[in-house]
Amino acid sequence: MSSKGDKPPHSDIKSKPDTKPGVDAAAVRELAQLLKETGLTEIEIEHNGARIRVSRGGGAAPVMAAPALAPAAPAPSAAAPSGPPAGAVPSPMVGTVYLSPEPGRPAFISVGKTVKEGDTLFIVEAMKTMNAITAPRGGTVLEVNVGDGTPVEFGQTLCVIA
Amino acid sequence: MFEKVLIANRGEIALRVIRACKEMGISTVAIHSTADSEAMHVKLADESVCVGPPAAAQSYLNIPAIIAACEITGAEAIHPGYGFLSENAKFADIIKEHGLTFIGPTPEHIRMMGDKITAKQTVKELGIPTVPGSDGEVGDADAARLAQEIGYPVLIKATAGGGGRGMKVAKSAGELSFALSQARTEARAAFGNDTVYMEKYLQRPRHIEIQILADAHGHVVHLGERDCSLQRRHQKVWEEAGSPALNAQERDEIGGIVTRALEKLGYLGAGTIEFLYEDGQFYFIEMNTRLQVEHPVSEAITGIDIVREQIRIASGAPLPFTQKDIAFEGHAIECRINAENPFTFRPSPGTITQFHTPGGLGVRFDSAIYSGYRIPPFYDSLAGKLVVHAKNRNECLLRLRRALDELVVDGIETTIPLFQKLVREPDIINGDYSIHWLEKYLAGLGH
Repeated sequence: MSSKGDKPPHSDIKSKPDTKPGVDAAAVRELAQLLKETGLTEIEIEHNGARIRVSRGGGAAPVMAAPALAPAAPAPSAAAPSGPPAGAVPSPMVGTVYLSPEPGRPAFISVGKTVKEGDTLFIVEAMKTMNAITAPRGGTVLEVNVGDGTPVEFGQTLCVIA
Repeated sequence: MFEKVLIANRGEIALRVIRACKEMGISTVAIHSTADSEAMHVKLADESVCVGPPAAAQSYLNIPAIIAACEITGAEAIHPGYGFLSENAKFADIIKEHGLTFIGPTPEHIRMMGDKITAKQTVKELGIPTVPGSDGEVGDADAARLAQEIGYPVLIKATAGGGGRGMKVAKSAGELSFALSQARTEARAAFGNDTVYMEKYLQRPRHIEIQILADAHGHVVHLGERDCSLQRRHQKVWEEAGSPALNAQERDEIGGIVTRALEKLGYLGAGTIEFLYEDGQFYFIEMNTRLQVEHPVSEAITGIDIVREQIRIASGAPLPFTQKDIAFEGHAIECRINAENPFTFRPSPGTITQFHTPGGLGVRFDSAIYSGYRIPPFYDSLAGKLVVHAKNRNECLLRLRRALDELVVDGIETTIPLFQKLVREPDIINGDYSIHWLEKYLAGLGH
């Protein structure tokens, strides 16, 4: 285990053999041989002002030298959440979404309907005011992603128009 | 008691409030911008609502979105934290109009203390000592005469300012009109209000503030003082409870003056009265009608959970202790660890690659960061608060030194190295510093 005094170099600094002129191929081969002989999975050194990292398996992801000591909390997901589908219409505000202009009247849109830019898609209510959410572009409604009278947050996908 | 509270803030203070709520069995709602979707306060709250894009004006300052978030989650009360909307009287008004509870003082008192001229006049009438000054707006006509009476050097201050902003010094009569016009120009630009007033400029004061709690039944207590003299550009960097400059008798005396004044005022909730202290005299500068960043040092020496008491007070409960019940034990120091270069203070947002908090007796680290967390560039640079408590100031300094050497925040620059130097500085060890000390020290380092 490394102590604070001899922490290994940050592993996010990678060598770029294709951009540096005159890469020291001999050093790389020597390191690769060392890897094989010692059974290590990764070696990184600073050599002639350039850093070289050789790792088994070709992984390019940076590796922590010591296990990351996260606080006692649910582990945060490292992967970015997947983006909304193409053509998604996000809610511009927080509130309660309604699918029709009034209870009992038919919904503004349904799957398969063709809409023009500016057509009303939903109403979002907040602080006792009704706000019309309109189509940002024309197209066909592929999905309706919210239920009538349910809460929505900023950026939440309301429907998909393509 | 509330069943569900919405926290209208982010970062470490949102976590702080969520923790208090959880301990009281209260459900929590976090709000966040799209930039904070992976923030710790969002992960730890029971529910979360995205209220807008990264810009604070459209998210954490977005009153309609925050009220709507209460509506859709059924939150009954809002804790505003510090900064953002915590001292926004309009926000407190709107919350009241919607039948919700604002965890804080009344809109009237927020307004009163938000205007620095009104605040000063009010507390003076309540018996709190103030800085000799213009007692109201100063105009070009009376400025020179007033400055003569007060005695140079004088300070021109913006009434709509605060937190150290909008202030200009005039060291002599020759500098007066320039200081006046500069202060007005800056105030107009920064606060939209160029009303200024004048005060005596104190040469080597300490910044000493008193923490109070006031319930809805007229009871007010103080939790002792904090010395926040170590500041850079009027931003506090290191705070101590108690002040190295006060003894128990002086603490009791100023504490008594402050609590009696706020009883007369009928104040509600947590608050802090800030003073400049020089040659044994206290001079009121402002009152903050909210929770403060450095509240943990007062919690350490009193054992009182200030956020818990804020919530209890807001729900109508009486304070569970009187002034006689409050004992001050030991000494505490807080270091604000910012994501900045330790000497140039250039902000350093980015990804935290390694994070280790120090532990052990008397060590507390309030922070919302974690390994792999990406500090967004849109908000303040506070990464965490290291708070250390020990039996006396000497032991506290040793414990702080140990804790700072153990704290690891890698991947970004932080001000940890600055604190490692400060804790070894003779003046700091002796408690011998004023509000100008840190900037002189930094200038001496060549920054």
